[in-house]
This record gives sequence, C-alpha cells and structure tokens, in this order.
Amino acid sequence: MINIVVALPAEARPLLDHFRLRDKQKNTAFPVYRNADMALVVAGPGKVAAAAATAVLAGTDKASTKTAWLNIGIAGHAHHAIGAAFIAHRITDHATGTSWYPPQILDLSTPTENMRTVDCPEDGYPEAALYEMEASGFFPVACRFSSSELVQCFKVISDNNTQPATAVTAKLCNQLIADRLADIEQLVNALTGLADEYTRWHAPHPELEQLSGHWHFTVSQQHQLHQLARRWQVLAPGKSLWLERLREKNKASEVLHCIQQHLDAITTGA
Amino acid sequence: MFSTLYIEEQIAEHPRTRAICERFPQATQVTCERYGEVFNPKAQDFRLQKRKPALILAHKHNGRVLKTPEGYGIGGRNNYYFSHMLNCLYDCRYCFLQGMYRSAHYVLYVNYEDFGKDIGTALEQSNNEPCWFFSGYDCDSLVLEPVSGFVEDFLPFFAERPAAHIELRTKSTQIRNLLKHPPIPNAVIAFSFTPAEIHAALEHKVPTIERRVEAMLKLQQAGWLIGLRFDPLIYEDNYQQQYASLFEQVCSPLDTGQLHSVSLGPFRLPRTYFKSIVRLYPDEALFAGNFTETGGMVSYPESLEHEMTDFCTRELLKHVPGTALFPCRLAA
Ligand code: SF4
Repeated sequence: MINIVVALPAEARPLLDHFRLRDKQKNTAFPVYRNADMALVVAGPGKVAAAAATAVLAGTDKASTKTAWLNIGIAGHAHHAIGAAFIAHRITDHATGTSWYPPQILDLSTPTENMRTVDCPEDGYPEAALYEMEASGFFPVACRFSSSELVQCFKVISDNNTQPATAVTAKLCNQLIADRLADIEQLVNALTGLADEYTRWHAPHPELEQLSGHWHFTVSQQHQLHQLARRWQVLAPGKSLWLERLREKNKASEVLHCIQQHLDAITTGA
Repeated sequence: MFSTLYIEEQIAEHPRTRAICERFPQATQVTCERYGEVFNPKAQDFRLQKRKPALILAHKHNGRVLKTPEGYGIGGRNNYYFSHMLNCLYDCRYCFLQGMYRSAHYVLYVNYEDFGKDIGTALEQSNNEPCWFFSGYDCDSLVLEPVSGFVEDFLPFFAERPAAHIELRTKSTQIRNLLKHPPIPNAVIAFSFTPAEIHAALEHKVPTIERRVEAMLKLQQAGWLIGLRFDPLIYEDNYQQQYASLFEQVCSPLDTGQLHSVSLGPFRLPRTYFKSIVRLYPDEALFAGNFTETGGMVSYPESLEHEMTDFCTRELLKHVPGTALFPCRLAA
C-alpha cells in the first residue's frame, strides 16, 4: 500500500491517469483518489497543507498494513535541467533550519539531492538544493505513521536560472510529471514492495483476532496472547492455535496457560 | 560498498574523512550538522535499513573511553571499553546492537587522535598499572579495517605503551593490517565463534568458521596473541554435539598452549533490547525459544544456562589449559 501526496491538481492528473485512481472521497477536506493499492491526496501548495493532507490520509489507513509514503511534485534548482528528477536525501525546512534525512535503501535509477522547503516561491536558488514548498511539511508527519525508509520525496525540476518559476504553467507541470512516470513507477513499486514485506513480517497470527474475541482478555493478557501467538507462528507454523483443549477453558488465564504449556513442550522437546 | 556517505560538517576536512570519500567516489555525499540527526530519529527500522546501510563519518565529542560494567574482563583490574565505530557490517540475529540503535547505518568516528588521548589519560589515572582496553563493544573491531585503518593507526600507539592492553574482538578475517606489523605482546586478537549450525542460521554475512580459523592460525604463527570467545552460547536440542565439534574444529589447528584467553558467555540481553529485537524479527525462531527475565536481563532459564556453561567448560578444558579459561564473561 502506498499513499501519495501532491500539491497541485496539475501534478496529480498524470498520476491519476497512469495509476487509474478514482475520486472516491469527495466530502473530505482534501480530494482523495484511490485504487486497491494506492491513495493520492491533493493537498494544495505549501508545507502546512502538505502536513494536514498527509495526516488526513493517514487517518484512512488500515492499522494492519504498513503504508509507504511518497511526496511527488515540482521544484526549482539553480542549474539542474528542466525535467530532471531527484529524490530527497536531505530535507531542510528553510524557516526553522531543521533537517531530515530520508534513508536511501532502494536501488533506483533516480539520483538524490538536497531539498529545501521554502514558504514562498524562491527564484534565486542561493544554495545547492532543490527549492520546493511541501517536503518539510510532508516528511515528519508521514514518519509518524511509517518508518522513514518508507517515506520519500520525488521532485521534477520545473524552473532554474534560465527558466523562472513564473513561467511554470499547469500544462508544463502536468507534462513534467507525465515525462517521469517511468521513474515514479519504479519508485512506487520499490516502496510498495518494501511496505508489503514489512507488513508480512509483522502479520499477527491469523486466528489471533478470533481467539481474543472468544474469551475476555485484559489488556495485559492480550499482550501475553499476542506474544504467545507470535511464538506459536514460529514454533508451530501452519498449525491451528485452536487446540482441542482450549474449548473447555472458561477463563482467559487458563487459555494462556494452556498455550504456554504447549509451547514449552515444543521448546523443551517434552 | 556504500552508496551514501553522511558527513558531519565539523570533520568534512579531516584527512581521514577525505581519504574515505576518495575511496568511494561513486557514493553520494550528504552533509549533516551532527550525526545524531541521521542516526537517532525515532522513525527508523533497523531491519529495513540493514538492507543498505550508509556510512556516517562523525566526530566523537565525549564518552570515548568508558569503564566496563562490573565483571567484564579477562583477569585485569582496570578495564575500559571504547568504540571507534557503531554498528557492524555483519548481521548476527542475536546481536544487541539491533536492540540498542534505531539505525543500521555505520557510524565511524574519525577523530582517532582524541581516542588516543583519552586512553592515555585512563592509563595515567591508573598510575601505569596495567589497563585493558576492549575495542569492538559497539562494533566488530576489524571488519571495516580496510576502510577505517583503525588498527593500522592504533598499533604503534599501543606498541609504545606496554601497560595498555588492547583486545580487538572480531568475527572477521581482515587481518592484513595486523600481519603488516610485528606482533605486540599487549594486544589480543579475540575471535568469536558459535557452532556451524548457529553460524549458518543466525550469523549472516559472517565468514565461515574455517576461514576464521585460518585467519587466526596465520596470526598465531606470526606471533600475535589469540583469544577465543564462545559468546553467546546458543541453545539447540543437540547443543552438546554442536559445541563439542566446534571446540575441536577451532582448537585443534592452534597451539592452544599459546592462547592468551578463552571465554564463554551465556546469552543475555537487556529486556528493552530483547523486546526491540523481537519487534524487528517477530518471525525469528531464536526468540521464540524458552527465555526468562531476571533483573531486567533476558536469558535462558538459569538451570539451562548452568547446564550449557558447565558442559562447555568441561568440553573446552579437553582442548585448552585451565589457566587460559575465563568461564563466564558479561558481554554481548
Ligand atoms: S559480528 Fe558482533 S557486532 Fe557484528 S553483528 Fe555479529 S554480534 Fe554484532
């Protein structure tokens, strides 16, 4: 599962077409488009809007799956060519000076760059960085919901020393993103694969929910049940947790004891 | 080897930083103010990052040389540890570093000269009584040697200070820099082993036992003091057979009469580290085993721990002199 945050409808359009995303939630604060494995929100420009839209989208995620996050948009740079694409390896909020470092653990064809999030469009590009307006709002909020390896920012150069930001039209913006769909797709696939793998590692025992609904477990007992079910999955893979002996148990504590005994027998070979 | 290098601004021009950057010309260089900005944030997953860790070059400001916990040591009275590096190129599933750090990136502190000064100070404070300095507490002492040149740099330092003893603890075979130097009597190269079955299942990327024995033999033949560390002791149904055959395999090629020290370490992890590691690897069979918690430490049940330690001690004494054996050593 992957969530995409963009600022502008013109950035969204080629992605909606390419990934066949449909407008499913019209009555939310931000337009959200979805297919089975992806959601895209159009935040509007600026880091505050990006942070809010990220939080709104996170609220719609299923707790049982780990979601990857991607901020896609346009950016300016002093000399990088128009249309070149970059992933952020450092995001600095220009106003506060705070920096974040999205870990680069994927093998991708897109190069990485410094990114600087500014509050208003910047056409001087004083530092060797991509200038844009959303990343520092998006990244820390998305990191509250997913691990930072699964949170990335991808930007296409729309303006530079020879072509000012004032020349960027919706049509150009649309085109710039459309021209980079192959890179975006590579990044989306890599991030989704990673998030899916993470979800598999942490998948609870399939019978856990049913079991915990059958008896009344206190919070601490639920925790114990969770631990026992994890051990069960490793020590008795494929075997049902619904032991015949459990059916006659009345109390949650007896259930836990029974499972514990069964696991002890496995680990001690008794 | 590394596709991203994070570099603290303060040491960007340090000769060691520059040499390492030149060694990886293809790597993207990312500057940061303090390495903690990269290494410490909460939203990081050690397991995911372990797929492709970056190298962070940093300056260690303080806490460079520390007293070891009570009970840690191999006979000396004044024991210190230090780490010129955090994290390890290998990926042992039982390694406490996974529970200690959020990030799997490697941190290399390039200001070795400050470590040297602090070791000198610790030595002075002990009135030149012998001191032991354990390296490789938060890393493997040798595995990154071709990049760090740490041993290369520190051997002359210890050669001039006979009261300062150093233990280099490793599972690697990176011994070239050691072999370039004449051996010094106050350095011990301590190799850690677990049985072949455990190695295959849990010690990812670690060289085979054969290769490590070969490396050890070369060092011993060159006159270096060798230590053996069977730490942690890992339980399996047939652990007796596994450890008996490991001791035979490791000890028989060596001149065991020349061994500096041999130690056994039961499996122990602080509770918080254990919990973090289980959270990272819920699917790992090792952690589904039978553990107990006492005083904030997770270990095998006491009876099993004793049984294993007793068996391994008896078995080891068939191969090594009793004077070299330090049966229990608190270590990760
Ligand atoms: S060799 Fe040592 S430091 Fe490295 S991963 Fe294994 S246990 Fe940890």
